Amino acid sequence: MSLYLITVLTNICLFSFIALSAYLILIVGEVSFGQQAFFGIGAYSLAIFFVYFDFSIISSIFFGMLICFCLALFLSLLTIKLSGLYFAMATLAFAEVFRLSMNLVRFPIEKEGRATGLNGPEGFENIRWIFENNIDPLGFFYITLITLTILVISLFILERSFIMKNARIVGKDIILAQSLGIRPRPYRVFFIGTAGAISGLGGALFALANTYIEPAMFGMMLGVHSLAYTIIGGLGLPIGPLLGVFIDIGLLESIRFLSEYRMIIFGGLVAIILIFYPEGIISPRIASRIKRLFFNKGL
Amino acid sequence: MEFLQTCIDGLLFGSAYSLLALSFSLLFGVMKRINLAFGSTLLLSAVFSLWIDSLFSIGIFGIFFLMIASSALINIYVEKLCFYPHSGKYGATVSMISSFAIWMQLDEMSSFLLPDRTASFPSFLPDSFFLKDLFIRIDQLFLFLIAVFMTSIFFYVLYKTNYGLLLRGVSFDGELAKKLGVNSGKISSFAFAFSGIFGAIAAFLILSTESQVTPFFGFWCTLKGLVAMMLGGIGSLPGAIIGGLFLGLVESNVINYLGAEYRDICTYLILLFILVVKPGGIMGSALLRDERAASERI
Repeated sequence: MSLYLITVLTNICLFSFIALSAYLILIVGEVSFGQQAFFGIGAYSLAIFFVYFDFSIISSIFFGMLICFCLALFLSLLTIKLSGLYFAMATLAFAEVFRLSMNLVRFPIEKEGRATGLNGPEGFENIRWIFENNIDPLGFFYITLITLTILVISLFILERSFIMKNARIVGKDIILAQSLGIRPRPYRVFFIGTAGAISGLGGALFALANTYIEPAMFGMMLGVHSLAYTIIGGLGLPIGPLLGVFIDIGLLESIRFLSEYRMIIFGGLVAIILIFYPEGIISPRIASRIKRLFFNKGL
Repeated sequence: MEFLQTCIDGLLFGSAYSLLALSFSLLFGVMKRINLAFGSTLLLSAVFSLWIDSLFSIGIFGIFFLMIASSALINIYVEKLCFYPHSGKYGATVSMISSFAIWMQLDEMSSFLLPDRTASFPSFLPDSFFLKDLFIRIDQLFLFLIAVFMTSIFFYVLYKTNYGLLLRGVSFDGELAKKLGVNSGKISSFAFAFSGIFGAIAAFLILSTESQVTPFFGFWCTLKGLVAMMLGGIGSLPGAIIGGLFLGLVESNVINYLGAEYRDICTYLILLFILVVKPGGIMGSALLRDERAASERI
């Protein structure tokens, strides 16, 4: 494979993580504009643990995910009364506070003769794990692909369990859920927390792949893009968000020869896709049809 | 005195936020949806008018009227493509994402018409004067007066005309209005066009006080309008005005006492705090309660 293709595929895998986190939140019926914050927190905490404290890479990723999980739990408990636009704006405010405060934190250090560390808008340079371990782009692509596959398989297992079914009912109709004896709030809190952790995992891998992160990477655009991926792909199966990312990045790269007009075409195309597939390409209806085909029974 | 000066600056600039929040609030009140493409519509109309001006030199009034017309037309385009086909509870999310896609599209078109990244925007009344020790820019004062005037027109249209009555009817209960013979599609197009006109006037005034257009103007409009609307309270028109003025006051005071880099952090912290403590915003708590009561009845 050419280097260019590998980079594109790695990017597709990395952005799939944040799309999957948006997917989990949409399942419990909320819209979050703030998943980019957890992506960023994952990236920054990996960098901090790895560069400042010399943790091993696995434990850095683990602690990054743990921090994201705790912060997402905290945010979801804080906003427990909010829903709809109120929740979306609260998460957006949280994400922007994180991003803007990262612009103000400066704590540069020098390590092995290279400038690194938190440095405000100039970003965090020289996270040199892939160079220290001689991992070529193809190797890193396999790492992200394997992590993503494990994640998607565990989401599929979750899909077969009662947790996901109950969560879908909560997202569809809270009153129906309550009258079936499902308490909505634990589901909501748990799913938002898990989504934060998944996004953090993606962010950590993103920081490793890029070796450089800056606050401007985690702006509102990233969060809304992740929502768009999920909506285009559909909420039926965990494959949906991946399909959305693939359509966006893959299609955008493949119409690169039209580079000047590509956003004009692509924006209109997405709007038209959404007119014909308002529930996404893999909508819950199609998903249950697929399940019936494979498992010979419905939901 | 310094505090008074800061407050005056804040209020004068906050009136621009109020106008943006009002046009947002109109759409949200009627459609119960967010139009993320709102800011880029304004950007595209401004850039388009400047482009026409560079070809035919239509003058400042030409730019003004062209901006209003093009913004209304683009808003109707957004409505037909993103909001008209989607209905229902899930439709709110879908139309938001759809309008986000159109936002990208419109931004790209604007960057076509704006190859140098920035363009100067014609400004009028560039003088300023001192009232005793207070420094007041005439164009900002003018912006403030226009904001007051426009707001009264806004209220007149909503509460005294037939269209306003229909609008409020659709906003109150879309289904019921449909059954009573209101053409709700036409009304929502009207609401979009109206909010486009309103937004275009706001954008014209803001741009002529700033006297330049940058590609970030669209994003800025969307974000500030949303934040001001949420601060004041969703769907409440007086709330939108108060939210905008409050946002202006907060920003100018933070810039003065803490520094410019803390401006946005403080804005978002206040927004988060208000959402957590008093989710309805400054004015909209009753609205939130009604909405919740409506959604929780069985």
